[in-house]
Amino acid sequence: MADEIAVAEPTILDTFIELLPEIGKAAGETGLMMVICLTAAIIVGGALGILVFLTSQGQVLGRYRRFNLVANGFINVFRSFPFIILLVAVSPFTRHIVGTSIGPLAASVPLSLAAIFYFARLIEQTLRDVPRGVIEAAEAMGASPLQVVSQVLLVEARSGLILAVTITAVSFLSYSAVAGVVGGGGIGDLAIRYGYYRFQTDVMLITIVLLVILVQSIQFFGQWLARRVDKR
Amino acid sequence: MIRPVQTAHNTQNSAFPRMTTQTSDAPAIALRGVSKSFRTPDGQQVGVQPTHLDVAPGEIHGIIGFSGAGKSTLLRIANLLERPDAGQVIVHGQDLMTLSPAALRTARQRIGMIFQHFNLLHNRTVADNVAFPLRIAGADEARIAERVKTCLEFVGLSEKAGVYPAQLSGGQKQRVAIARALAPEPHVLLADEPTSALDPRTTQSLLEVLADVNRRLGVTILLVSHEMGVIRRLCHRVSVMEAGQIVERLTIANGRIPPDSQLAQWLRDFGDAEGDEAGTDDTEAAPQHLLSEAAHG
Ligand SMILES: Nc1ncnc2c1ncn2[C@@H]1O[C@H](COP(=O)(O)OP(=O)(O)OP(=O)(O)O)[C@@H](O)[C@H]1O
Ligand SMILES: [Mg+2]
Repeated sequence: MADEIAVAEPTILDTFIELLPEIGKAAGETGLMMVICLTAAIIVGGALGILVFLTSQGQVLGRYRRFNLVANGFINVFRSFPFIILLVAVSPFTRHIVGTSIGPLAASVPLSLAAIFYFARLIEQTLRDVPRGVIEAAEAMGASPLQVVSQVLLVEARSGLILAVTITAVSFLSYSAVAGVVGGGGIGDLAIRYGYYRFQTDVMLITIVLLVILVQSIQFFGQWLARRVDKR
Repeated sequence: MIRPVQTAHNTQNSAFPRMTTQTSDAPAIALRGVSKSFRTPDGQQVGVQPTHLDVAPGEIHGIIGFSGAGKSTLLRIANLLERPDAGQVIVHGQDLMTLSPAALRTARQRIGMIFQHFNLLHNRTVADNVAFPLRIAGADEARIAERVKTCLEFVGLSEKAGVYPAQLSGGQKQRVAIARALAPEPHVLLADEPTSALDPRTTQSLLEVLADVNRRLGVTILLVSHEMGVIRRLCHRVSVMEAGQIVERLTIANGRIPPDSQLAQWLRDFGDAEGDEAGTDDTEAAPQHLLSEAAHG
C-alpha cells in the first residue's frame, strides 16, 4: 500500500513538504510585513485616532476644531485610495527611505501608511462607545486630558480596541498578499508565483488553507481576549 | 442668610476627622452673576441667565425646577464643567474662573460630584473606582488603600470592593459613586439628580447616606432634583429655577415648604397632596406633571 502511494502522483502533502522551505520563507516575510504595519498602525494610527476623538465636538479637547478638521480630511483622503494605487503612488517615497521598491520591507511602507489611517478611524469610532458622562466624571475629579486617555478611554474601551487590532490584522494580512503581487514577497506572492503563474493548483490550495488558518486564529484569539477583558 | 442646621448629634468617626468648616460667613459656594448660553443650530439657547447663588458651609442646598430650567447647567457651572459666559465662581474662597488649567484640576479634586447615571468606570473594580480620584491626584498607595477602605465602609459596601460595577444594583452603584466622590475628602459635593434613576426605597436609603455625608463629614452639598420628596427630606434650603433664573429661595424647616411660596403653589397646582406628612410620602406625581408641563413651554 505504501509503495502504491510512493509511485503515484505527488500528493498535496508531498508538495507541501517539498515547498516547506519556500513556505517558511514566505510566512516569515508575511510576518515581517504584519509586524511592521501593525506596529505603525497601533502607535501612529492609535495616537492619531485618539487625537481625532479628543478634538471632536463636545470632547475634552473640542476647542482644537481646526486640527480635527485637518486630521479627519487626511484620514479620509488616505482611506479613499485603492490600496494597489497607493502601493504604486508611494513607491518613489518607498525607494527613498528603504532604498528599493521590492521585497517585504519595501511593501511595508505602503502597508503601514494604509494601516495607520485605517486603524486611526477604527480607534476614533471605538472610543465613541465610551459614555460622555464617564469622561466628564473624570474631568470633574480633576483628570488631565492625558489621564482621561490613559485612565479612562483606554481602560473603558479596551475590548473594542482589541477588536480593532484584530480587524486591522486580518485586513492587512490580505493587503500584504496584494503587496506580494508587486514583489513584496510573503504568502500572497507564493500563491501568485506557483499557484497562478505555474498553474500549480495544489500550491494555491496550500497557501489559501494557510491564510484561512491564520485569519481564523487571529480572529478567534482577538475575540477571546476582547471578551475576557470586558467587565461591562 | 440662614445658618445651616447645626450638627445635631456628634456621631463622629475617628477615621473621618470633621472638616474644619470655616467659622466666617464666607459661603462654601458662591456663584456671582453667572450666565451661560448655548449656541445651537436654531440660534442662541439660554441655559442660565445672570444668577447669584450662595451656599453656606455645611448646608444642603437644593435646586428644583421644570425640565430645561437650567438646573444642571447651574450645577455644572459650580465646578466649571460648564464655563459660564460671565460671572464669578467661588468655591471655598477660590475664584475658579481665574485658575490655570492645572490649578483648576487641583481645585476640582476637592469638589466631589455624583450623577444621575453614576458614571462609574465599568472595567474597574469598586475599589479601583473609589481609588480613581486619588490615583489621578498622585496619592501614595498606602493612603489610597486607607481611604478606599474608609469610604467603602462609610457607604456600607466594604464587601463589594473586588466586584465590578456591572454586578451591582443601581443603589449600590450610586453608593460607590458617593464613596468615590468622598475619597479625596472634598469640601463640597455636587449632585445632579442622584436618585432619579432609583426606586423610592433605594432613594430613601441613599438620602440617608447623603445626610450622613453632610452631618458627619461636614460636606456642603449642592443638589439638583425635580423630586419634591428629595428636596423636603434632605435640603436645608432650596432655590427654585425657572427659565434659567432662580425665581425663589426658600428655607425648608422640618421638611415643610412655606405655604405662601411659589413652589407650594406649584405643588398645589400640579397635584402634590401637600407636604404635611413632612417628607414620608413618595408621591412623585407632581414632578412628573412638572416635567410634562415644561415640555409644552
Ligand atoms: N450642551 C448644551 N447645548 C445646547 N443647549 C444646552 C446644552 N446644555 C443645556 N442646554 C439648554 O440649556 C437649557 C437648560 O438645560 P439644563 O440641562 O440645565 O436643564 P435642567 O433644568 O437640568 O433640565 P432637566 O430637569 O431636564 O435635567 C435647556 O434649554 C437646554 O436645552
Ligand atoms: Mg438636568
